[in-house]
Amino acid sequence: MPRIDVDGVKLHYQQTGEGPDVVLIHAFTSNLAVWMMIGIMDELAKDFRVTSYDLRGHGLSEVTPNGYNSAAMARDFARLHDALELDSAFVVGHSYGGVIGTHAALEYPDKVSGIILADTYFPGLEHIEPNVADTVIWRELSNDLGKSGIDLGEQVDFGRLFEAVKNLTPEQTEAIRESLGPASVRWLAPLGKLAGTTAGMEMFEEAGLTADRIQSVTVPVVGLYDEQTTFGATCKYLEDHLADVRIDVVPGARHLAPLQSPVEFTRLVKTHLHRMAGMDTAVETS
Amino acid sequence: MHVNSEAEVFEHIVHILRNFEGQEYSGPIERDTMFFADMGFASIDAVLLGEQMEFTFNRRFPFNELLMELQAEGVEDMPIGRLSAFVYQDLSSSQ
Repeated sequence: MPRIDVDGVKLHYQQTGEGPDVVLIHAFTSNLAVWMMIGIMDELAKDFRVTSYDLRGHGLSEVTPNGYNSAAMARDFARLHDALELDSAFVVGHSYGGVIGTHAALEYPDKVSGIILADTYFPGLEHIEPNVADTVIWRELSNDLGKSGIDLGEQVDFGRLFEAVKNLTPEQTEAIRESLGPASVRWLAPLGKLAGTTAGMEMFEEAGLTADRIQSVTVPVVGLYDEQTTFGATCKYLEDHLADVRIDVVPGARHLAPLQSPVEFTRLVKTHLHRMAGMDTAVETS
Repeated sequence: MHVNSEAEVFEHIVHILRNFEGQEYSGPIERDTMFFADMGFASIDAVLLGEQMEFTFNRRFPFNELLMELQAEGVEDMPIGRLSAFVYQDLSSSQ
């Protein structure tokens, strides 16, 4: 398996294609399989050199006790970028992956040419975004897992989720499979290894990525927000405050566009990457 | 690697799965055994399986095409027999 040592942490990555560099950064609690499963890597590889990687603690990358806020994750990105000898890259970040990409664009400007933010929420915009601690998706997850005897509480608490998954009984796992389907078990199963780490807390840290710093991003940004996003205030803020920003909507999606609207998500990402890279594109954006 | 039959591909896949990192499944692996539901693997394991198959056969496979096919059929899983058939077809097309 392709893994690379980044400051003593082994990160698992995949790379395919030739052309301008694109780096795909998955969401918190996800892994690079999301890009493989929907075929976006192969699609983008027709025109770009596409790299995806598992964030530390995720997928097949090494778990560390800490180092999960966006500043540390941006540093991982930069080290990976150096180790793979990438050129300045377009970053596509889903949810927390967008926070990491934005932080990287500010801290390592020579490594990022543009950013596509897919339904991203920023801890540094907490003051304008009311929907984080009680986000609808969390409450639904809490309700669903509650039917299997797992109490996650009303407020988003990933540390609690990780502990619960670590201690799942076979009966609870089967109950989740019955009520939520096999895909949910596939998502939940690897999360137990994050129990005992600071990941759940760190992903909500501002980590120096303040509102003022977010506003200072100068590379082109695309805000790709889901039709049923709960982060509408963040989307509006980006539209009003960034120097070079376009907003687009992924129809039929609610925070998980790569999985909920994979065809449209891929089309939009490809279209915007072509535009940002100065390539001709025949596909209209919505 | 040259293969003569789909059964040969199937045996290679079984060998990979039997030696899979972290795997706890010890039941039979048949053509209709499901990678996720029966063997308890996660999505990232499918990526690892793909990497190991690429290493074994020394080539990349368009696995996303198989996944799209299965999705279109409403199959939320991956029968091992479908995987071996897909790989054999891909190998045959270039042999």
